Amino acid sequence: MKTTRRHLGRLAAGLLAAGMVWPAAAGAQEMPAPFDNPGEVEIALVRYLSTGDFFQAYLSGVEAQAKALGVNLRVFDSRQDAALQADMVDQAIALGVDGIVIQHGLTESMKEAAQRAVDAGIKVVAFDVNVENEAIPQIEQSDRDLARLALEQAIKDNGEAWTAAYVYVPGIAPLDRRNETWVEFKERYPGIEEVAQFGTLDNPIANSVANQARSVLSANPGIEVVFAPYDEFAKGVKIAVDEAGLSSDVKIYSADISTADIAAMREPGSAWVATAATNPAVVGEVSVRALAMLLAGEDPGRNVIVPPTLITQDMLNEQDISNMEELSQKLPQFAHADVAVPDWMPLPPRD
Amino acid sequence: MGQGAIFRIAGLGKSFGPNEVLRGVTLELRAGEVTVLMGANGAGKSTLVKIVSGVYRAQRGEMFLGEAPFAPASPAEAMRAGVVTVHQNINDGVVAALDVATNLVLDRLSGGGRGIFFNPRRIRREAREVARRMGLGIDLMADVTGLSLADRQMVAIARAMAHEPKVMILDEPTSSLSSSEADRLFALVERLRERGVAILYISHRMSDIRRIADRIVSLRDGRIVGVFEEKPLDYEGAVNAMLGQNLGAGGIESREATAPVFTADGLRIAEGARPFSLSLGIGEVVAITGLVGVGKTRLAETLFGVHPPLAGAMRIDGRPYAPSSPAAAIRRGVFLVAKDRARTGIVPDFNIYENISLPFLPHFSHLGVASRRAERAAARARIADLKIVCRSERDDLATLSGGNQQKVTVARWLSQPSRMLILDEPFQGVDIAARHDIAAKLRESAGQRATLLFLTELDEALETADRILVMSEHTIVGEHRNRNLDMDRLLADVAGRGLQGAA
Amino acid sequence: MDSDMAGKATARVEEGQGARPRLSPRELAIRYGFLALLAGLIVFFSLATRGFASPQAAVFILQSVSITGILALGVTATLVVGGFDLSIGAIATSAMMAAAYVMVVLEQNALVAVLACLAIGALVGLINGLIICYMRVPDLLATLGMMFLLIGLQRIPTEGRSIAAGMTLPDGSTAGGAFSPAFLALGRHRFDFFIENLVPASVVVLVVLAVLIWFFLEYTRFGRMMYAVGSNAQAAAFAGAPVRAYRIWAYVISGVFSAIGGILLAARLGRGDIASGNNLLLDAVAAALIGFAVLGAAKPNAFGTAIGALFVGVLLQGLTMMNVPYYTQDFVKGAVLVIALVFTFALLGRNGR
Repeated sequence: MKTTRRHLGRLAAGLLAAGMVWPAAAGAQEMPAPFDNPGEVEIALVRYLSTGDFFQAYLSGVEAQAKALGVNLRVFDSRQDAALQADMVDQAIALGVDGIVIQHGLTESMKEAAQRAVDAGIKVVAFDVNVENEAIPQIEQSDRDLARLALEQAIKDNGEAWTAAYVYVPGIAPLDRRNETWVEFKERYPGIEEVAQFGTLDNPIANSVANQARSVLSANPGIEVVFAPYDEFAKGVKIAVDEAGLSSDVKIYSADISTADIAAMREPGSAWVATAATNPAVVGEVSVRALAMLLAGEDPGRNVIVPPTLITQDMLNEQDISNMEELSQKLPQFAHADVAVPDWMPLPPRD
Repeated sequence: MGQGAIFRIAGLGKSFGPNEVLRGVTLELRAGEVTVLMGANGAGKSTLVKIVSGVYRAQRGEMFLGEAPFAPASPAEAMRAGVVTVHQNINDGVVAALDVATNLVLDRLSGGGRGIFFNPRRIRREAREVARRMGLGIDLMADVTGLSLADRQMVAIARAMAHEPKVMILDEPTSSLSSSEADRLFALVERLRERGVAILYISHRMSDIRRIADRIVSLRDGRIVGVFEEKPLDYEGAVNAMLGQNLGAGGIESREATAPVFTADGLRIAEGARPFSLSLGIGEVVAITGLVGVGKTRLAETLFGVHPPLAGAMRIDGRPYAPSSPAAAIRRGVFLVAKDRARTGIVPDFNIYENISLPFLPHFSHLGVASRRAERAAARARIADLKIVCRSERDDLATLSGGNQQKVTVARWLSQPSRMLILDEPFQGVDIAARHDIAAKLRESAGQRATLLFLTELDEALETADRILVMSEHTIVGEHRNRNLDMDRLLADVAGRGLQGAA
Repeated sequence: MDSDMAGKATARVEEGQGARPRLSPRELAIRYGFLALLAGLIVFFSLATRGFASPQAAVFILQSVSITGILALGVTATLVVGGFDLSIGAIATSAMMAAAYVMVVLEQNALVAVLACLAIGALVGLINGLIICYMRVPDLLATLGMMFLLIGLQRIPTEGRSIAAGMTLPDGSTAGGAFSPAFLALGRHRFDFFIENLVPASVVVLVVLAVLIWFFLEYTRFGRMMYAVGSNAQAAAFAGAPVRAYRIWAYVISGVFSAIGGILLAARLGRGDIASGNNLLLDAVAAALIGFAVLGAAKPNAFGTAIGALFVGVLLQGLTMMNVPYYTQDFVKGAVLVIALVFTFALLGRNGR
């Protein structure tokens, strides 16, 4: 581990403080440095995407874990501006933060900025963006597993041969990874016939996708399954299915989940039957924990994968789940992920 | 073929679609001579100028410069050949963002064969030379934006002179100049004449024409209808040829006002100006005249509620009148045909009837819904009244000539009865025929209101008004009844004698 | 007697008009080109795809353009007075958030939600108008600033969360309200029109607003004065028009229409999404600008705007049915806009002179 002079200085100051004001250090004794004096530790979250419930929940997870550790958190939000995001990393470097979580972004623009941060002695983890850097662990919500879980459920529900429409916008990393699984499934089950592919990120996304889905459904009356591996897509498709009066003929499989999604899935006769999701708050927590391990000199591993959970309409109805809190309470596998949890790691309080 | 003809035009023809604008114009210009081209609006003057200056190409006929055929494909080509045009719109002739020196040598800068680098000292040297030759007394370092219109005009002409032209065309060069500014222009034209330039001078203003014409050519309906070159020049003949009719020239029947409609006491419209009083009677047409810049437009707009007066009280029909906006003035029956119709008069996207009914839409509306049928009927009546030349009341304003556009703005304010009708330079850019139509209509309809005209041209005031007031330095300095009028005293008032006498 | 004369004169002019329609091919192209293109597109898609030529397809095309169409009608009002409103998309999404907030968090009924949205739209429009008319900020800049302000403001009440029934509030409690069925009906109810459950409420709202604004702009004196203000503000002022008041009203109309668009958006989505509304803005502006070319108007007009919105809708839905990827759709949208603008400025401009 490369230790900078600044770290040594801070360590010395921490030791000095602990020595002089001994009662203050009492509770932090088991914590590895620098978390024995967490008020001195500052981490930054540099975001590419922030609009939508997923990212809001992710942020709350980051905040919760940062609070549990007692460290200071700064949030930089580039709002889908790749160049600005790179600038923000430089800004964080200039501010002298100890660690950075990069949340989404483009490989091309973030690769060098991430390297500059590493060169400055700052610990970096990246969520859902590949910055091609050995020193930077990747936090992943395993998009392939997400798509696999949803599609396996679709096979279970509908057999191995059905007519499908697929919602996809190329060029977005998680969607591209989910797409790989979809391609694999189509090869494995030749009975799946994809008659239409559509998708857009025009905002509000659900509204734009609904308009497209209306056209697709009326041009292709035989569609049985719509695979919409992003919940904003699924919401749009559901609106279109409802408007076309096809709720009983079409089934929607998706990825991701939110309170609004739960309500939509649980509407009587809803066509949205299943989704696979990682709890974004948990992903946020794991991101910070992996960063904390790096700061403490431990190795969280090259890839930190947060496993997804399958959530079906039936599960939600049986357990009467109506929002994310209840989902976490009633589906424990969704609320926790035993990833990046060394013994010393304080965890956010759980209900 | 006349002797010394340096520029000849033979049988020039040009049509726009079915509209034949020039029908075989033949004309020659001689070195060191000012040829004035007269023509009513729509006679084809601008088209002729544009062909000569290389903007349009003629469909028939030829031009010769000296002995060589002359058929410029672009204004730049015409300029290089030695035929230079100074257009009516002064700002087309100068580049506002640059200083005077650069403007003077601009055409050389953009010409070929020059280095890439811009040498300010050399430019100033060349510009000084141009300015000296033309007797131009303007600071060469000044920005053009800071210059008066007249100075810009001078710069444009001096710039044109930098080409050593053989032929120069001046298209209504005095239309936006005051008379002292015009004097400077004439001095410049004089110099050009001495240098042996053949000048084609296009103008409406009789005073200009009397002053500089060596010969007059009248253009009507795309043809030359008269050439007058025997001294003394037959100005009346030229006007008649241009109009194709004998307009009853001479004075008018001056009427006495009956009861006063509008009175103003102690009115002050500018800081430091002397307060004045004003009374306008029912049925009379009053002209306020004075040089450019003496506050005529300020007074017109003050009466119309655009600006509040600095002091003084106004009354209409004995009741106090203090309009806070044009809308308030209109409600009290005070209408203004504003100066500069393009800026403050016409709505270019509207057709004739929409322009006419604009201020009076409530009259044509029930529950806010406008009745186009009623508007159109009203507009048709006005079109017939004022002899507006158009296909129908739904023609777009952009398709009308300047004189007809002006008739539309006058028609607008004649379309409803008023207590006081104010017209600020209503004859600007209007040919004589249109001017007669408008003036006749104003006098004919003047019965139930007071009519107030603001006119810079004395001729126009003498032609139209019962009473003439003279303004100088933002106040009224003289009053003359238009009957056996003492011209010397009137001119002295215009020159500001009244003011000095009072001071 | 007098009216009789007027009648005769009108008849004469009408005859003249009857003799007139010997339009040159170019004039014909300018006047009917876009409508012909629209008809051609409809025929093409009907032949090329299954299910395009049906009442249902017609209705959902209208539905797909209803929200941007309403915004476009609003921005048309500001274009008429020579202004521009870049904040319409943000007003729409702010209204959507407001509707959701009023019902889900404040637990109010549909009526309160609708009124709150309309009030927000009117207020934002008023502020835009005041800033532009009295503070002399150029319209593009003022409404651009308002757009950013609103995008930020949307996030403040919920600290950046989208609003849905059962959401967790910033203080940790759970929101007790929900979207009222009456409100959702605005986005989901369908009226019978020859076929049962055919016409969605949003389409009815679009048609009603389009007819209203068209009538207002074309036939009332207020609309005429707004055009006068847009064409030559100074001349309108000298004709007694309260120019500032008309300008401000145009922005209020734009704000209210945008808010109505936002209400329909919220009713369709059933939740309040944080969104910039930039795509709504661009589509609406495109529709209004395409409208310049319809019938050779060469100026902002409500009928043209409605046709412009329909044109974009037909094109996008038709292309989607043909399985054309989304990025080509942006390209096609842009191409249509460019062609429409060329129509307006090149052909008409030359014709006018």
